[in-house]
Amino acid sequence: MNRNKNNKIIINIILFIIGLAICFVFENMGLIKSSIILVIEYIGIYTIFVLGVNLINGYLGVFSLAHAGVMAIGAYSSALASMYLFDSALTFPISILIGGTMGMLAGMLLAVASFKVSGDYLAIITLGFSLIIKSILQNMEFVGGSRGLRPIPQYTTLIYIYICVIIAIIVVKKYIKSKFGRSILAIRDDPVAAELVSVNIRRSKIVAFGLSSFLIGVSGSLVAHLIAYTNPASYGYTSIVDGLVMVYLGGVGSITGSIIGATVWQILVQSLRGIGIWRWVIGGGILVIVMIFLPNGIYGNRELTWKDIKNLPGAIKEKITSIRAGKAAGTNKKQKGGKQ
Amino acid sequence: MSETVVTFKNVCMYFGGVKAVDDLSFTVEKGKIFGLIGPNGAGKTTVFNVLSGVYIPTSGEIKHLDKVINKIPAHEIAAHGIARTFQNIRLFNNQSVLDNLKIAYYGHIKYNVVDAILTSKRFRTEEAQIEKECMQILDFLDLGEYTHQKAGALPYGAQRRIEIARAIACKPQVLLLDEPAAGMNPTEIDSLNNLILNIRDHYGLTVMLVEHQMRLVMSICDEILVVNFGKKLAQGKPQEIQNNPAVLEAYLGKAK
Repeated sequence: MNRNKNNKIIINIILFIIGLAICFVFENMGLIKSSIILVIEYIGIYTIFVLGVNLINGYLGVFSLAHAGVMAIGAYSSALASMYLFDSALTFPISILIGGTMGMLAGMLLAVASFKVSGDYLAIITLGFSLIIKSILQNMEFVGGSRGLRPIPQYTTLIYIYICVIIAIIVVKKYIKSKFGRSILAIRDDPVAAELVSVNIRRSKIVAFGLSSFLIGVSGSLVAHLIAYTNPASYGYTSIVDGLVMVYLGGVGSITGSIIGATVWQILVQSLRGIGIWRWVIGGGILVIVMIFLPNGIYGNRELTWKDIKNLPGAIKEKITSIRAGKAAGTNKKQKGGKQ
Repeated sequence: MSETVVTFKNVCMYFGGVKAVDDLSFTVEKGKIFGLIGPNGAGKTTVFNVLSGVYIPTSGEIKHLDKVINKIPAHEIAAHGIARTFQNIRLFNNQSVLDNLKIAYYGHIKYNVVDAILTSKRFRTEEAQIEKECMQILDFLDLGEYTHQKAGALPYGAQRRIEIARAIACKPQVLLLDEPAAGMNPTEIDSLNNLILNIRDHYGLTVMLVEHQMRLVMSICDEILVVNFGKKLAQGKPQEIQNNPAVLEAYLGKAK
């Protein structure tokens, strides 16, 4: 069994290196159009973002709208760090960490707000937080006011994004499997029962908000260094809605769902750019349809595992036969109805 | 003289003008099964709620062993010796039975976030340890077959036992059972009877029991406290309680 485990680790490392190589080739060989690479980069960044939002809105089951504000904090603090503190591309990871840490501190403050308040009232408080952050940034001349902050050095590359995504997925996965992850799932189901079986609700919430906001802060710093520019308007209502849409579309309480949500929504939004404002109509329409047929999102509350992929052909076969059987049953019924 | 594990001293719990618990004093001795009975609305569940830390009593003193626990938060009380079940089942319905039990170990697990994320040795040994202990508890309560099923989808009787298993997973010295026999038929009550005795002996617990099923209460309790309108009506051995005129009056009304 131990040997099996070692093999698994080696396979994972090999896969990781292959991914790294692919990123390198994409980025430097010019095989793919740079606009497509940009979409891939957005997918990666928003995967980290959605993982963060999903920890609070999905796993913990608290309806929070603070992600736009936290992302702004991450973006601005890391951008300022790379503009004024460091001036080398090698120190970019430090800027990312600064963005994440500042986001984390803000998130921990919000956790305190969630101790006594819940439901709609917490949604209002977190919405207020996002809007306050936006207004503060708009009125601070030091960071460019509403004109925005520029020029931010363009350090973000596909390889950085790739590494950050992998780390984020591993961290969230380990977190969910630990006592902290179990405790937030318990709090979602029944906070009173959780408290009475020794779960320290306050500490669990602080840790959950902290980790979530760290990831959102990291995604903010990556996006700022990708487009070399950031302004307060990017962290308004659109950003709040974007975050919610990706979480609820992809699936609450699921890492796979977060990845799917970010991928589907980013491809949609970026590829429909040509039709202007109408893309929100099409995007919104698709969202309505998905939510009607899959109320938990595309991959809600479950994970895709290697076993699922291996069993996929069999599962498809089963599904087809069951649909056929269902159709046959349906026609039978009709015939019976006709006879009567 | 045996050891006292729970002491209530002049405890009052008022909700506005309602005196749910009014100047109640009693002690529970180690290893005993202590029954708490009374008519509906007498304040039995409130006694459990103040003892397990859901409410802070208006006045008075509650002690667990020698420690005053009036103002200690509920999760610390649960981690340090008093665990409970609920009148209406409150399991984590979307989690597997095993995870329901693992959650109860929260207060005993020592690793921190960094250990969890790096999967350190401390994390792995502790997780392996609690998994083993959870399986032992499940096997003892004859729940092994349900280990990986979702708790919310199981039959009522099994859910009741999972709640007891989850309370045991908190490693308590005192186990509070709030109407464990509610909705059970006589056969199930008999097996519950044996289960409670087995748990007490195997884990060395003190059991406090709120129950309406007199059949259960009279057969297993070592001592019974009768409350009515938040006040102590009588206390004693089952036979004494059965013949106590005040108790009969509270339950059946006054003889004319």
